[in-house]
Amino acid sequence: MILVHGHFRRLVVAGLLVTLAACTTTKIEAPEPAVNPNEFGNTNDPAAGFENVQPGTEQDFILNVGRRTFFAENSAALDATARVTLDQQIAFLKKYPQWYAKVQGFADEPGGDAKMRQISQQRADAVMNYLVAGGVPASRLWAKGYGKDRVVRDCADRACKVQNRRVITNLRASREDGD
Amino acid sequence: MVVSRRDFLLGGMAAGAAGLCPGLSLAQSASYFAGTRTDNGVTFRATNFARIDKRWHRQVVKFKSTEPEGTVVVDTRNHFLYLIMENKTAIRYGVSVGKEGFKWFGRASIDRKALWPKWTPPPEMRQRHPELPLSVEGGSPKNPLGARALYLHGTGGDTGYRFHGTVAPWSIGTDASSGCIRMFNEDVIDLYQRCPIGTAAYVIQHLADQAEKSLAKPEEPDAI
Repeated sequence: MILVHGHFRRLVVAGLLVTLAACTTTKIEAPEPAVNPNEFGNTNDPAAGFENVQPGTEQDFILNVGRRTFFAENSAALDATARVTLDQQIAFLKKYPQWYAKVQGFADEPGGDAKMRQISQQRADAVMNYLVAGGVPASRLWAKGYGKDRVVRDCADRACKVQNRRVITNLRASREDGD
Repeated sequence: MVVSRRDFLLGGMAAGAAGLCPGLSLAQSASYFAGTRTDNGVTFRATNFARIDKRWHRQVVKFKSTEPEGTVVVDTRNHFLYLIMENKTAIRYGVSVGKEGFKWFGRASIDRKALWPKWTPPPEMRQRHPELPLSVEGGSPKNPLGARALYLHGTGGDTGYRFHGTVAPWSIGTDASSGCIRMFNEDVIDLYQRCPIGTAAYVIQHLADQAEKSLAKPEEPDAI
């Protein structure tokens, strides 16, 4: 009943959008398809792949090591907290030499796209250099800055920006370039 | 209930462990620890997770909500703290909610973080327990804040609300006599690593039972 109701509401909204479209030239996106709740499962169910986390897996890395390091505004410096996470990453990567890692830098600062691309690359380089200094072979790592692409949270609040100023160490099964 | 000073201290002061688990002997509480771990110059007793119900272990779960990635959501009634991740998942931590943990609900941000914080017992606690010192140094095995504290500030400044560690791992998953949001030391260290200053936090009584209901409207908060 709720679903029918929701669907009906969607139709009404779609109808209104069509009406609006008739009056303007604005392109109207089709409404998102309804999410089938059965495909998602329930909150508190184990996430896919995390039912029984084994040592040395990507899930182990995400849950017990942490992929993200965070940065202060306009800075590519690794603070004490970032170094703790990176030390854990070093230990993992040395213990499980089958893994490669793509080190992805991101930014969300004042100063425009070129500036953000630069600082995101500096962040990725800083993390990669630290991992290499810690004993992870450089041949297993590559770093790339993405500027303000792929923001975690898109808003002007501090809560958004601090999440976006980050580097993600992404495990890869083989050496690859590009994205 | 009569609690000797010795039991009180060993059981973990603010944890009120003796009051929670009247039958918990020294040997039983010792079984909740396994070995030691060193963190920032402090050697502490590591939690024996084999002794802890799996539901309170740190794990990655499905999490359906309209909250964006990076928010910390606390479900006080069900004793879970979630850090929202990508693709409708969250890292879930088991917590214990103390009396102070039920006094405030709403949105705030993590504005300050501390390693092995010093503990100053609140005046009302010292009234009930005059034997308590004025303060306990960080890193002391008698310091109920444990390895970390993350302080929540709202629009009006410090909410007085915080996430912290514990010296009483058996209390995780329960309501406790005092304290705020108490976590295993291993978990509060992990959370500290993952939450930059400025991280959004949202403390609610409990998650909506139905997935359709978003987190947008918490229930009426308790009066302070």
